[in-house]
Order: sequence, then C-alpha cells, then structure tokens
Amino acid sequence: MPFREKIAWLSLVALGVAYIPYFVVVASGAYDHAPAPNFPLLTLLAGVSILRLAILGGGWLVLRARAPEDARMKPDERDVAISRRAMASGYYVLTAAMILVGGIMPFTEGVWRIVNAAIFTLVVAEAVVHAVTAVGYRRQA
Amino acid sequence: MSAPMLRGALSNRIRALRFANGEMSQGDLGQRIGVTRQTIAAIEAGKYSPSLEAAFRIAHVFGVSLGEVFQWDATGG
Repeated sequence: MPFREKIAWLSLVALGVAYIPYFVVVASGAYDHAPAPNFPLLTLLAGVSILRLAILGGGWLVLRARAPEDARMKPDERDVAISRRAMASGYYVLTAAMILVGGIMPFTEGVWRIVNAAIFTLVVAEAVVHAVTAVGYRRQA
Repeated sequence: MSAPMLRGALSNRIRALRFANGEMSQGDLGQRIGVTRQTIAAIEAGKYSPSLEAAFRIAHVFGVSLGEVFQWDATGG
C-alpha cells in the first residue's frame, strides 16, 4: 500500500476517533445555549483536536519507521493527480455546506449551533478529501 | 452531428521489458523515471495511464520507441 494511501486512512481514522464523539456530545444540545465564551465547549474542542493531532503524529511516525524510503519519496504524477481530484471533491463539499451554514443557518439557528455546523462542515470536507484519496489509490493500485 | 468518441484501451509491455532488461525491479524503474514503485505497478496493471513525459521516459530507459512500450487497442474499452 502506498505511503500516501496509508496517511489518508490514518487521517480518516484520526478524524473519526476525535470528532465523532465530539459531534455526538454536541448533538445532544448540552452546549447550545451557553453564553460566550463557551469554555466547556472550547475545552472539548481543544481536547479532541489535540487527540487528533496525537493520533496523526504517532501514526505518521510509525508508518514512516516501517517504510522510510516510501516516506521520503516526493509525490509523483499519480500522487498529484489523486490529490488534485480529492481536493476538488472536498472543495465542492465545503462550498455547498458553507452556503448552508453561512447563508441559511443564521436565520434559523443559535450561535453555537452555527459554530459547530461550521466545524462539522470542515471535518466532513476533510474526510471527503482523505476518503477520495484512499479510494483513488485503491482504484489505481 | 459530431463523430462519436473513439473507444479503446491502453496496454503496455513494461513487465516483459523489465524482465528482458536484467529483471529490472519496479522500484528501479520507478527511481529512474521519477515515480514510486506503486505507480509503476499501477501502470503495468493498466490502472493508471502515465503522462506523455513519463511514458517517453519509460521507453527511453528500455531503449525502445514509445509504441513498443504502449499499445492502443481501438476495439477494447
């Protein structure tokens, strides 16, 4: 499996492990009406973000140790093509979701729901980028 | 009315050429043309079509013409 495909899977796992529990808690509505600054919510967000970085950093070190030559290789034309397609997919998801979050939700939702919807949008767009990357390597493996 | 797009499939003889050239490994070939071993494997399997430049580089490594490495089968696809 190419090093960059492993990184894509690792990134997906890190996103899932960190942000699925976060959004489950947020969806319960526990933080919806807290006054700003919503420290409990911000602390939770900081915690899951640190967890994600730890999984990514630790996983990257393990993967690099297992295949140091693959990790050193610069992205070639196939890597660039897969990456470009993945970024384009993520961009469309991000654009569509941001129209919803920034253009519609301000008329119907509270502040923290909008904030979390924006974070959710970023996470989903990033997940799409990594998923399309992983699938790209699978289909062209 | 426009003509229909030609259908076909790209095939290649990279595997045979590698073996004819001292059983060159995918990694060695990849290193010489600036792509990863996995990309060479994908090209060999017909799952990735290389850029024209990479195709010419592959042909150059084997000392043959582009047509001896890559073939276009107009009836496939």
